[in-house]
Amino acid sequence: MKLFVPSPGDINSLKELMTAKEKIYSIFMAGSPDYIGTGRSNLASPQLEDIKEQTDFVHKNGVKMELVLNSSCMGGRQLTPEGYRINNWYIEKLVDIGIDSIVVADPYLVETISNNFDVDVVVSVLAFVDSPQKAEFFQDLGASSIVIDSNVNRHFDVLHAIRDSVDCELKLLINEGCLYRCPFRYAHFNFFSHAFGPEPRPNVLDDYYYLKCLELRIEAPEQIIKSPWIRPEDIKLYKDITDVYKIGGRTHFVDWILNCVNAYHNESYDGNLMDLLDCPKDLKDLFYIPNKSLDGILEKQWMNCKKVCNKCGYCRNLTKKVTQVYSNGGTDTEKCMPWETYSVKT
Amino acid sequence: MGNIFGENMITTELLKNRAGFEEKIRKLIGRPILLIELDLFALPCGCAGITANMRGLEVDDLEVFEPQLIALLKEMAANLDVKPTVSFARLVPGSSIVASLNWRTLCQRCYPEFARGEGKTPRPDLYLLQFERRK
Repeated sequence: MKLFVPSPGDINSLKELMTAKEKIYSIFMAGSPDYIGTGRSNLASPQLEDIKEQTDFVHKNGVKMELVLNSSCMGGRQLTPEGYRINNWYIEKLVDIGIDSIVVADPYLVETISNNFDVDVVVSVLAFVDSPQKAEFFQDLGASSIVIDSNVNRHFDVLHAIRDSVDCELKLLINEGCLYRCPFRYAHFNFFSHAFGPEPRPNVLDDYYYLKCLELRIEAPEQIIKSPWIRPEDIKLYKDITDVYKIGGRTHFVDWILNCVNAYHNESYDGNLMDLLDCPKDLKDLFYIPNKSLDGILEKQWMNCKKVCNKCGYCRNLTKKVTQVYSNGGTDTEKCMPWETYSVKT
Repeated sequence: MGNIFGENMITTELLKNRAGFEEKIRKLIGRPILLIELDLFALPCGCAGITANMRGLEVDDLEVFEPQLIALLKEMAANLDVKPTVSFARLVPGSSIVASLNWRTLCQRCYPEFARGEGKTPRPDLYLLQFERRK
């Protein structure tokens, strides 16, 4: 198994992560938002000298380094002469540093980087590759690896079709807890791309997309069950598609990241499923979903699911059965209650 | 004076009130609403009060359960010894989202800003629950 593991972007966090180096194939982290942003929030803003120090450090430990420049919207700047010059300058510096791979979402960057630089180009999950046709397109542009759109993580027919269509490496993002077929996905990642990209950055008080996402899950926690995460125990069912897995979570504490690394490396986790999901992290203090209570469900139900939820109801019923809610959290009387305790009976 | 866990009377009371308010609001509304952070605050202008950052609370809930919510707000304000001039919800403008509930003892400078406003939503991001006008 090749595990790609997130780093918050500072050397101290990285040193902590490297205590598990035997379980890690590659570290990935964002670069400086001053050049090409990323589609996620960032805790650090490593400059080139920081990236060099961290790249040298992981290489000494036998681990690869991947830089994430997966802005889903650059406002067209990448197509201007100045944008092209700046982006090329930045990527040249990263290649000189010895970065092993660069993740991008924009097809133009896939083509220009693969044509002009000696570095592996990875197509981001934010390029939404969810079909064999799209995978072929990106491979033809020069991609050496594709992170498949996590929306199809449980569509085994599509995953096999993509595997059969391309020769390049395929990666699965395994612990993203985003809504299945999330309606906010494009708008939210575009917002992040500007908020964590070059100036000018929007000064936003409340992230509507995030808060609305939480609201939907609190109203209907089956949305958490339907999210296309892959449990550590279910990795074995993907082995004929790929052995390359990416753990999301570069805005988390190192302790949280290492817990995920251990769970996925061991292909087993005895605890709250919410502990492993990158997003939405606020809800791990609300819901308790015993991971082991989901044993066998991917094989039994989701591998062959037609995704017509209003005619099925399986996930809704499963949610009622397994989801618990923390009550009196943070006090001596904290306990878990069945979700139905707090739901209006209809 | 805190105990060995860094807790003291104030933090213990805050934790107890956070959990208690959350529990009551869940039972009132019929959803597992999350009170993600309960803060006591003081501002440089002189305002002070309580902010409850909410997840899963909606504008419709304010409209339907306003009298009951105001009673819960008053109860927690009394528990934490805060005497609010104004209680309001902060919204994400134009959406169903209630980002936080706020109890504020207004200072001399900020009182007129609230006093001049009219209706339930004097600003697109505010939903007034209660305002005590000075005589």
